[in-house]
Amino acid sequence: MFAYVVRRVLTTIPLLLIGTFLVFTLTAISGDPLARLAQLDVDQAAYDRLIDLYNLDQPIPQRYVSWLTSAVQGDMGPSPSQGGQQTFDLVLGRALNTARLAIPAFFIIAITAVTLGVYSAVKQYSKLDYFVTGFSFLGISLPTFVFGLLLQVIFGIWWFDWFGARPFFVQGMRTVAQHGWLDMVRAHVLPIITLWLVITASESRFQRAAMLEVINSDYIRTARAKGLPRRTVILKHGLRNALIPLVTIWAIDFALLLGGAVVTETIFAWPGLGRLLLAGIFQQDLNLTMGVVVFIAALVVVFNLIADLLYGVLDPRIRYD
Amino acid sequence: MTDREVTHPEERPPGYEGRSSTVGGEVPETEHLDPEHVIDELEGIEAVSRSFGRQTWDRFRRHRIALIAAVVLFLLTLAFVVGPWLSPYGFSEQDFTALNQGPSLAHPFGTDTIGRDIMVRTFQGGRFSLRIALFVAILTTVIGTIVGAIAGYFGGTIDALLNKLINLFLIVPALVILLVVGVRWGATPNGIALLLGFLLWPAIARIVRGLFLQYKEQEFVLAARAAGARAPRIMFRHILPNTFGPIVVNATLLVGVAIILESTLSFLSVGVQDPVPTLGNLIEKAKGQIDTKPSAVLIPGGFIVAITLCVNFLGDGLRDALDPTARKG
Repeated sequence: MFAYVVRRVLTTIPLLLIGTFLVFTLTAISGDPLARLAQLDVDQAAYDRLIDLYNLDQPIPQRYVSWLTSAVQGDMGPSPSQGGQQTFDLVLGRALNTARLAIPAFFIIAITAVTLGVYSAVKQYSKLDYFVTGFSFLGISLPTFVFGLLLQVIFGIWWFDWFGARPFFVQGMRTVAQHGWLDMVRAHVLPIITLWLVITASESRFQRAAMLEVINSDYIRTARAKGLPRRTVILKHGLRNALIPLVTIWAIDFALLLGGAVVTETIFAWPGLGRLLLAGIFQQDLNLTMGVVVFIAALVVVFNLIADLLYGVLDPRIRYD
Repeated sequence: MTDREVTHPEERPPGYEGRSSTVGGEVPETEHLDPEHVIDELEGIEAVSRSFGRQTWDRFRRHRIALIAAVVLFLLTLAFVVGPWLSPYGFSEQDFTALNQGPSLAHPFGTDTIGRDIMVRTFQGGRFSLRIALFVAILTTVIGTIVGAIAGYFGGTIDALLNKLINLFLIVPALVILLVVGVRWGATPNGIALLLGFLLWPAIARIVRGLFLQYKEQEFVLAARAAGARAPRIMFRHILPNTFGPIVVNATLLVGVAIILESTLSFLSVGVQDPVPTLGNLIEKAKGQIDTKPSAVLIPGGFIVAITLCVNFLGDGLRDALDPTARKG
C-alpha cells in the first residue's frame, strides 16, 4: 500500500508541473505587473524592484523555472500587492479562514445529500422523491452568486440583524473571545447555506442514482430473501455500496471547498482564499496567484489519494499493489 | 484517477457523464419489466411504423415539465430578441434627467446610475447571454465530438492525451483558468464565448469517447469494415448517428452551464465589460446599490435562474425522449 501511495504521488508530479506552467504562462501573458505601478506614481527604483522580483527581463519559460526552483525549496516569494508579505504565510492564514466555512459546510452537505438521496431512492416516485428531484433541479440551476445575493437581500436588508450580515460588508473574522459563541456561529450561517445549496443539489442526485442502482441489484434481493429486515438491508448492504461512487465526488468537492469559494467569499466579504486569488489576479500579483493555485492543486491531489484509499475500506475487493 | 479500479470510464454505461460541473449526470438504471405485462402490451399494439422523429416527439410530449420549459424558453428568447427592438430606448442610451431611478411607468425596471433604462438593458443582456451560451454549446459540442470520436475509435496517443487533459482540469479548476485569462480576453461576448468553449469541451469529449468505445465493437461496425468502409466513414456515417441522443442532451445542458459560468465571471468583474450588457454584468453593476435598489439585482438574477431552470428541464426531457435506454427512474 505504501508503494501504491508513492506511485500515485509520483504520477501526479508531471500533471502538477504542466498545470502550474499553464497557469504561470497564462497569468504572465494576461497582464502586465508593471501596469499597476504606473497608476501609483512611483520612482524608477520601484519598477526595478518589480522587474527584479519577477525577472521580467527574461522570457516566460525562464521566469517559470526560477519561480519553480524557489517554490520547491519552500520559498513562494513575497507578494507585492499585499505589502510584500510572504505568499506562503498569506495563503496559510487565509486557508484557515476558508476552512472555517469549508469544514462545517462539507459535513452538512455530505449528511443532507446522503439522507435526501437515499430517501428519495428508497421511496422512488413518492411525493418526497419528486420534492428532492425538484430541489436538486433548482439547486443546479441557481448560480451561487444569485443565491448568495438573494440571501443577502432577505436577511441582510429586509430582516436586518438576524445573522448580522450586510452585503459586501467587511467586518473581520469573529473570534469566540471577542464576540462570544453565538455571534461567531451566527456569522457563519449564511455563507455556509450559500455553499450548501448548489453542492447538495448535485450530490443528492448522484446519491439517488447510485442508491437506485444498488437497490435493484441481485444481492439486495438475496439479503431480503434471507429474511433480513428491510432497514438492515438498505443501510448495511445497500448504503455501503452506494457510497463508493460518492467518495470520489466528496474528495473533489471537499478539496474545492477548502481551496476557497470565490463567489461566496466575495458576497459575504469573507477574508478567505478565494478573495486572495481574486486579489492576486486583479493586481497582477503573480506570486500570490501561483501560491493559491499550487495550494488548490495540492488539495485536489491529496484528497483524491484519500478517496482512493477509502475505496479499499468500503470495498475490500479493491487491493492496492 | 487512472489507477482507480472501480471507475474506469470504459466500464461506464452510455449516457453516464460522470460529474462535469453542473452538467447533471445520471447513472442509468436497468429497467425492470414484468414479462407478462410486456406481452399484454404487445398484443394490444397494432404494427404501425413510426419514424424516429415521431417517436421522439411522442416521448417528449409526455414529459410535461420539459414541454413547459421549452415554451417558456421560447418566450424568453422572443422577449430578448424583440424587446430591445420595441423599446423606445437604446441599451447604451443615457438620459441625464432620469439618473438612478426606481421602477416607474417610463422605466418599468428603473434606470442605472448613468441614466440608462434597465429594462432594455436586461433584455439586451439576456440576448447577449443567450448568444454567448449558444455559441459555447455549439463550439464545445463540435470540438468535443471530434476529439472524443477520434480518442474512442483509435485509442492510443490521443486517448491518453485526452485522459491527461481531463485530469489536468481536475487539478487546476476551470474557474481559476477562466479568472486568469478572462481579465484580458473575456471582455467581449465573443471573447468570453471562445474561452468557455475551449475550457468546457473535454466534458463532451469524454462522453463521446465512451460511446465510441462501446459502439466500435458492435457487429454493424464490423460489417461496415468488411464492406470496405474506411475509418472516417465508419466513424461519422455509422457510429455518430447512434450517439446523437446523448450529444444533443449534453449540448442542451451546456447552455445552462455556460450561462451560469458567464454570469459568474461577469459578477466577479472578469467577463464582458460595460457598455455591453449581459445578465451577469448587470448584477455586477447593481450590486453596490443592493441596499437601496435590490430589484436591479433580483430581476436579472431571476432571468438567469429562469433560463437555467428551463434548459435543465428541457435537457432532462430530451434525455428521456432521445435516449430511452438511459432513462432515469
